[in-house]
Order: sequence, then structure tokens, then C-alpha cells
Amino acid sequence: MKSDGVVLQFCARRTFSWLRFAGVLAPIALLGLWTTAASAQTSPDFAGNLNPLFQANLARPSDFNNTLQYAASASANDIESAIGTYEQLLFYNPTLSRVRFELGVLYYRLGSYEMARGYFKSALEQQDIAPDLRQRTEDLLSDVDKQLQVDRFSGFVSTGLAYQSNPGGGPGLQAALASGRGFDSRFFAKSDENWFGAFALNYVRDFENQRGDTFEAGVQGYDAQQFNLRQFDIGMLEFRAGPRFVLTPGSANAVSIKPYVIATGSLLADTAYSAGAGGGLTLHANVGNVSLDPYAEIVQQSFRNSSFYPLASNMSGTLSTIGLQASGPIVSGLGWQTRGAFAHSSATFSPDSYDAYVADLWLPWNFSFPGDGRTWTLTPIVGFSNWQYNAPDPAIDPNTTPRTTEWRAGVGLDVPIWSKVYMSMLVQYRADASNIAAFAMHDFSVSGGPTFKF
Amino acid sequence: MTPNRSLAVLLTVAALAVAPAMTPAMAQQVGTATAVNPTTESTPPGSGTVNLTVGANIVHKERIHTTPSGTVQLLFVDKSTLSIAPNTNILIDKYVYDPNSNSGHMLTNLTEGALRFVGGALSHQGEASITTQDAAIGIRGGTVTVVHGPNGTKVIDHFGIMTIHNGAGTVTISRPGFFVTITNWNSPPSEPQRVTAEEVAYYLKLLTSQRGQNGGVPGLTNVTIGACGIGTLPSFNCPPTPWNPTGTAESNAFQTIIQGTQRGTFTTPPRRRGR
Repeated sequence: MKSDGVVLQFCARRTFSWLRFAGVLAPIALLGLWTTAASAQTSPDFAGNLNPLFQANLARPSDFNNTLQYAASASANDIESAIGTYEQLLFYNPTLSRVRFELGVLYYRLGSYEMARGYFKSALEQQDIAPDLRQRTEDLLSDVDKQLQVDRFSGFVSTGLAYQSNPGGGPGLQAALASGRGFDSRFFAKSDENWFGAFALNYVRDFENQRGDTFEAGVQGYDAQQFNLRQFDIGMLEFRAGPRFVLTPGSANAVSIKPYVIATGSLLADTAYSAGAGGGLTLHANVGNVSLDPYAEIVQQSFRNSSFYPLASNMSGTLSTIGLQASGPIVSGLGWQTRGAFAHSSATFSPDSYDAYVADLWLPWNFSFPGDGRTWTLTPIVGFSNWQYNAPDPAIDPNTTPRTTEWRAGVGLDVPIWSKVYMSMLVQYRADASNIAAFAMHDFSVSGGPTFKF
Repeated sequence: MTPNRSLAVLLTVAALAVAPAMTPAMAQQVGTATAVNPTTESTPPGSGTVNLTVGANIVHKERIHTTPSGTVQLLFVDKSTLSIAPNTNILIDKYVYDPNSNSGHMLTNLTEGALRFVGGALSHQGEASITTQDAAIGIRGGTVTVVHGPNGTKVIDHFGIMTIHNGAGTVTISRPGFFVTITNWNSPPSEPQRVTAEEVAYYLKLLTSQRGQNGGVPGLTNVTIGACGIGTLPSFNCPPTPWNPTGTAESNAFQTIIQGTQRGTFTTPPRRRGR
């Protein structure tokens, strides 16, 4: 615009001449042509920054081996480009179930569940679909159908048997003797077996607004009944609920925030042991392929004395926690999940107050055997905890403030049995070291049983 | 006519005369026709209409027309794609892209028919838009199906943020699986509603080759792609693993028991102190 103004002034100030008019018009016309052409292109070296496979696709789209390579590589971090490229392959052969499956997964990853469902369903209609791919497609289609419902329920129920070498986490006889204190012998380390049951039920209500806000509620429970050591029978229940507000709608890396309420309760030795109520705030964000869920919560806990645990009420107080849950992929089928937290307990009996650091890492590896699309999951686990109590407990050691560190490692295996039923197994070992000799312990546990996931 | 005046006229006429002739030659490639089912016609600026073929360059101001059996996919240099349904007319109205700064703008005019746009660098900057006579659709993200016919325009959001604007108002869709309809330029766009599975399936089928077609590239009979957990070749196209930390319930229960054992039970003071 500025150059047009300059040209007009130039013409106005000088005597009109056809030659000058032509002399001006000709360059303008050529400039117009040049800018028209320029606006239709990228910079001349536009190809310099592009992926070689992509460049080859632009130059030779009929080289479908190159196209396939580009689609596979783009799947890692450029989902839309991978979609465009797999759709290109679908033009070349619309009957390929494999390509339709890949497109379904790509749209699933974008949260575009309608499109994912469309591609998964059309993959199932193709004649070339192999049994393993059919199984895989049906599993994902089931999940997609769930995601598209306004009221969504998910969770699991499991039960089984477990063996623990030290279900109470108590000291061994030698450690107890070495401490010089008199312990309730019912809490010495001793092995036992138990029956256990666990469940989780999660509910999501989609408000159907354009931000994607939801209401989420979840309850989970765990119960273990010892065969012999009934003082370690335990039942736990935890409930959380709150609305989730999406802060960045329309983005694959959507950020959301959720305030929530918490209610907890537990039984120990088949007697009411603790109850708690509180609230928290959590954020969800995706950074690339990494999912991040930082949180902060505070729970008022009340412990109740019982014949087995006559001093439990000393632990009543406030438990404040800040933490982070994160997860992401490593390579095909192998991912990582981690949880780190700092907790501060402020108990009515000061020596029972503590600071604790907890960190756990899971490496779930999903795999299938040839010809079978069902997913097995092998999960190595490592974890670490550290407790630093607030003050010496005169009843334990008036001169030593307890400090305990725990290391744990294990492996879990989920084996598909039938439909949504799995056989779940878990082997774990944990060892606690403490400056209070009687707090040192180790435990080896094996558990297994069926799990129904829904 | 004086010699000066004659020269002036000659220069002007020459400049204007070469303009249309130079445009297609100078208009550089903004994309490629990556799949073409006959019959699909193309009209580059300043040229006649020709049948489009796979690998043909797509240039600024090019018009694409598909017949009742024709479909086409266009791939642009910013990695965005357009899949175009049968009986569709579009114009690549504007395309500017600088990959060094990832900036530019893309404007596509849909005169009639249907298309699906899958976003690239420009739409990620919010610099892609599609116009019909009923509305202008600004795309941030994103993936969208746009259908235009005698009854108006329909916009189906598959991913990203679509801002639909016309003379009567503006509506934004920011959730996948929602659509709006616009009957004409002077009627406000409808509020977003959920698209049906049947409609999604219909456009998925419409916007690709039909059985027996091959997009102009024969011979693709099989593909080998390693899926997550299937086969031996690696693939990174994996659905996210749900958060399911194995053994957490057992650990929490065990921690409660340990705490009870250590802090909730009676102990008697040490009989003797360490030496």
C-alpha cells in the first residue's frame, strides 16, 4: 500500500507523459506478476527444511514404499501428517484393513473418537483383516465406544490369593531383641497367606460443552483377609470426585484442572481404624507424548484405637501431599509411568508427625504373541520411600528420631484369559532400613488371581 | 502518435500481454496431486482445463473439479492435505508458505461438494481457511470436513478449533465430533451438535477411492506395519496406556499396616541403653 501511495505522488507532481506512464506501468505489471507468482509459492529453497521422505512423497507420490515409510515415521510425533499420508495410501487401495486400523489409532490419539470409530469399523469390514488385528481393533473399538458416551464407567474387579513373608512389616525376633525393647510379639515378622479383593469404579460425566468439561468420580477399595494373622486383616476405601475444566480446548495437548473432594476409610484387624476427609487440586497437561498430572491435596485423618492398635489415635492429624504422576511411551509397546510425592503428616502426638518422600516407576510392556491380538502386559516396578519422623518417641527410643528408607522392586504380569478377563500376578520384594533397629524389615510377596476390566 | 507515445503503448501492451502467459510458468508448486481417480479436472491460472494425474503440480489459483466418479487427494508443501469428494469444485485461492518461519496463509474456496482438510504447518498457526458462499471457516489445528450444497454448508470438526463466521455471526467448534450448519451468509451458524456415526462413515467412504479404484497408483496390495504389540516391526502409532499403576493398592494397604505396627502398638521402654 505504501508503494502505491508513492507512485501516485510521483505521477501527480510531474507532467503527464505516456512514456512515463508506460515506464511506470510496465514495472508495476511485472512486479504484480512477480508478487502473484511469489505469493503462490514458498521461498525458493522451501524444500531445504523438509523431511526427505516427505520431499520424496511430494515429488514421487506413486512410490508407495516411500509413502509408507514416511507415514510410519510421522506417526511418532506428527499425527496429522501421518493421517494425511495413510489416507493417501487408502486412495491407492481402500480395502487395506491395516491402513484403516492405523488411521483409527491416529485419530484415537488425537481424541477424535468419531473418526477413530469410523476407521476401526471399516477395518473390521475388510476381507484381509487378520485374526490378531481383528482382536486388537475390537478392543480399541470397545474403548472408543465408551469414550463417546455421555456417561462413562470404567474400572476393574480382581480377587485372588497372596503369600507374604512378613504381612505386618514387623521386626524379626533378632532385630526386636537387639533393640532392647519389649514388643508385642503378635507383630513380629511371620509369614502368612491371605485372600484379597480389589476394585475400582470410575465415572465420567461429559457436560457436552465445547470445552470438553467433565465431572469425574472414582471409588476404589482393597480388602485382604489373612488366613492366620487376623491382626493384619485390612480393608480400605477411597472416594474422590470433582469437576474437570479444560483450559485449552481444541488442542491435542489440552490442559485441564480439577478440584476434588476426598473421603477415605479403613478397617484394620476387622475393626474401624481410620477415616479421612479433605480436598485437592490436580492439573493435567500433555507435553508432546508425555502426560503430566501434578496434584496437591490435604486430608484430615482420624485414627481409632483398638485392642490390637491401642495407640493408633496418636496418628490423627492432617496429611498434606504434593505430587506428580507422569507417563509416556518409550518404544513400541513399552511405556513408563511414574509417581513422585512429598507428604507431610501433622499428628496430634508430635512424634508421630513425619515428612515422607515417595517415588515409584512402572514400565508397562504391552505385547502379543504371533497370531493372537490379545495384549499381555509385563510391568517391572521399582520404588523408594523415605520417612523422617518429627521427634523421638519416648516409648520407642527417647534419643533417636526415627528415619526409615524403603526400597521395593517387583514385576506384574497380566495375561488375557477371555474377553475382558485377565489373570494378574504380582511378585514384589521390599526392604526397609531404619535407624530404629526394630523398624528394619523385609517382605517378599506373591499374589495372583483373575481380574475383570471394564 | 508520437514515437514516445507509441513506445509507451507498446510497453504497456507487452507487459499486460505477457501477464497471463507468465503466470503458470512462474507460479511454483504449492502442492502435488498424490492420488487421483478419474475423472478429475484441473484448471491452472491462465491455462485450459486438463485431466489431473498423479504427481501433477498444484499451483496457486488452480481450480479442481471432480466428476461423479472422481476423487483426488492434494498434498501441500506445509504437509496439509485436501481429500476431495466426487462432484466437487474448489479453488486454491491463496497459498503462501515460508517453511523457514513456518508462516503463510492458505485459503481454499469450496464452490460445491465436499472435502476433508487435514492440517499442516499453516493450520497449526491458525493460517488456513476454507470459504463457501455461506461462511468462512478459520482452522486452527486441525482436521475438518466441509460440505457445501444447495441447502447450505456443513462443517464437521474432527480435531482442532474451527471458527465459522458469516454475515450473521460467529460460532466456534473446539471439540472433535461436533458440527454446525449454515444455511446462507445472512443466517447465523447453528450451535455445535454431535455428528452421528452414520454421517462420519458416509464421508469416510465418500472421501477416498471406491472399490475398484486405485487413486491412479496401482499395485498396492499389502502393507507391513508393525503395530504396538503386534508383529516384529516397530511402530510408534500406539494408543496411550491407561494409568494403571500395578500393585498400588497392595502397597498402600501394606504401608498402613506397617505404620500401625510401628506406631499404633504398645512397646515397653528399652531395658538398657546401648553401650
